[in-house]
Order: sequence, then C-alpha cells, then structure tokens
Amino acid sequence: MNTYVYGIVSGGHPELPSGLAGVGDPPRPVRGVRAGELTALVSECPEGLRPRRRDLLAHQRVLTEVGQTRTVLPLRFGSVSAGEGDVREVLASRAEDYRERLRRLDGRTEYNVKAAHQEDLLLRQLLDEEPELRGMAAANRAAGGGSYEARLRTGERVAETVRDREERDARLITQTLSPLAEEHRMGPESGGWFVNLSLLVHRDDAEPLADAVAGLRSAHPRLDLRLNGPLPPYSFVEP
Amino acid sequence: MTVVTTERTGGGGGSSGLYDVLELVLDRGLVIDAFIRVSLVGIEILKIDVRVVVASVDTYLRFAEACNRLDLEAGPRQPAGLPDLVGDATESGARDKTKGALAGAGQAVSQATRGITDTLRGRDREPEEATASDDTGSRAGSRRGTARKSGESA
Repeated sequence: MNTYVYGIVSGGHPELPSGLAGVGDPPRPVRGVRAGELTALVSECPEGLRPRRRDLLAHQRVLTEVGQTRTVLPLRFGSVSAGEGDVREVLASRAEDYRERLRRLDGRTEYNVKAAHQEDLLLRQLLDEEPELRGMAAANRAAGGGSYEARLRTGERVAETVRDREERDARLITQTLSPLAEEHRMGPESGGWFVNLSLLVHRDDAEPLADAVAGLRSAHPRLDLRLNGPLPPYSFVEP
Repeated sequence: MTVVTTERTGGGGGSSGLYDVLELVLDRGLVIDAFIRVSLVGIEILKIDVRVVVASVDTYLRFAEACNRLDLEAGPRQPAGLPDLVGDATESGARDKTKGALAGAGQAVSQATRGITDTLRGRDREPEEATASDDTGSRAGSRRGTARKSGESA
C-alpha cells in the first residue's frame, strides 16, 4: 500500500492532534513516520487518488492543524511514496537540509494576497483620467455604440491602459506590503488576479499586514484585495 | 495570531477564497524527487494564464461595450453595485474580474481550513472541477473556452 506524505516536522515524537483525518473517502488516519530527529506526516494513500477538492482540502487541513502547534515543512499535494521504509530513507538522507529549512520557518506563517480590479470602478477612473479614452468612448456612445472598428480601437486602448494600471497597482501593493514581511514571493499570474503575493511573517506580526491590506482597500476602492492566512508556508519551502 | 476572517477579507466570496488557497496547495510546497506525484490531469485550468487573453478581439469589444454602458457624466467615485452595472458587463468576459468581487457580498471565509470546509460541506466534484466552487466553476469554464479560442494552452 502506497504512503501519502503531507509534510515534515522536526522532533522524534511529535504530538499529533488526535483524529487527524487525511485524504481519501473515508479519510485515512494521519500518523507520524520517524527517522532520527525528523518525522513525516503520512497516511495510507487511497487507490486512484486524484486532485479532488475534498482531498486538496484534506491535505491543507492536516498541515494547518499540525501547523498550529509546530513548524511544518509542507509538501506539494500528491506526494506519494512506495512505503514507510522509503519515507524514512528520504528523511535520513536529507536530514540536515530539512532541519535547516524547518529552522528558517520556525514560528513563521504564510499569508497570501491576491488582487483583482473592480472593473466598473477601474473603467470609470480610466475614463475620468484619460481624456483620449473618454473622447473615444463618448464618440462611440454618440454613434449608438460605434462601428465595429471604432469599438475595436477603443477596446484595444482600454485594454492597454488596464494593463498599465495593473502593473502600477501591482507595484503599489508589493511596495506597501512586502516591507511588513520577512520574505515575499510573487506567485504565478492566473485567472482572476493580477497580483499573487505570498508573504512570510512571524505569527505575531500578522496584524500590521492585515491593517495595511485594509488601508489599501479603503484608499483604493478599485482594488479587490483578498488576504488569506495563516497558511502553511507553501511558498517558502525552498531556501 | 491574526486569522483572516470575514471582516478582514471583505470582498471576494468564500468561493474565491477557496480557489485562492487551493492554487497554493496545488502549485507550491516542497517537491521531493524520490516520491511520485499524483497525476494532476484535469486541473490544468489553474495553469492557464488567461490574462494573456486580455489582448483579444473579444476582450476589446467587451471593454468598449462596458465603456458604453458607463454613464460618463457620473464621477469615478460613484459607488459600484448599481443594478444596471453589476455583473453583466463581465458575464462573457475572459477574466470576469468583477464577478468574483461583486459576487462576494456573501460570506467570505478565507481562514483556510475550517471556513472552507464549511463552504463545501456535502459537495464533491469531479477532478476537473476540483478547484472550483459554483462561482469559480463557471468562471473556469468560460476561461477555458476563451483560452481555447485564443489558442492558449496549459
């Protein structure tokens, strides 16, 4: 039976929360596999495990619950080993490396900020601040919407300007928030956000970050800012 | 310790909170070469940079349409959420940026574990929808469609 691996904690006999439920249906119980001064959080890996939401959430939940009382080095979802022996071997062979990473993450947690624009508010602002765009839009309206070519030209200029504003706002957000964190990493752009910023902070230092996000929100209504945390330090596992 | 809760997150519904967090679960965290990885087939949607689609005819026309709909006489400070503006400008959009924001009037629980589990209780989806809730699901669908049209791929 394959072994699913959630993450790594330091210490030979970690007190795991009781009844920790892992991946699978029914959820497989989570236990520790020890090698020296490191312990891997593992469970049985169900046959045909897929990235279902339920299992992604189980992975997240195990790391979050354990992370409330100790530092966890989170593995990426879907890491599967042939068995406990292999897990011990990996822990033993890279022990110093993993211990070093755990030391660096000790007492710290990740917050993730994603930003999008409230499109109506952004477009209003662009039309307000860019006379050329306002003129194009007004001409289209006067012409009952405008010709296909005119709409295309207008839309292209809007898109360029939106891109420009995204870059500006990305700088604003990053420059405002990153000084409040020990480290920050930009995540990949994807659907639904133009900023994907992960911040590593001390557990006790998250308040200023939350306040700064609230400040950005109230100062810039066009920004839709989503702050998530505390999270396992997924984005800071590499030195 | 600061736990980001409904009050703190404001906009962005529980659904986008979920999507925001699962992106991290899937894409980050330590990879150990000695361990095999579960196949992630069916969730490439997360990998698609739909924002490339911003430079497309569809997007240009949608922006022009959105500008036509805005009342140019109204100042930029006019509050969002006017019934005739909400959502419809973005329904066919590639990015649907406002949709998540404006649909977020519901409860936004972003505390990654308990809150999301509450949001999802009793629902399970097939893998390709694993990372999407009702709202992000439809967004993912439209994004995928747009991406295909534009020749984008994972």
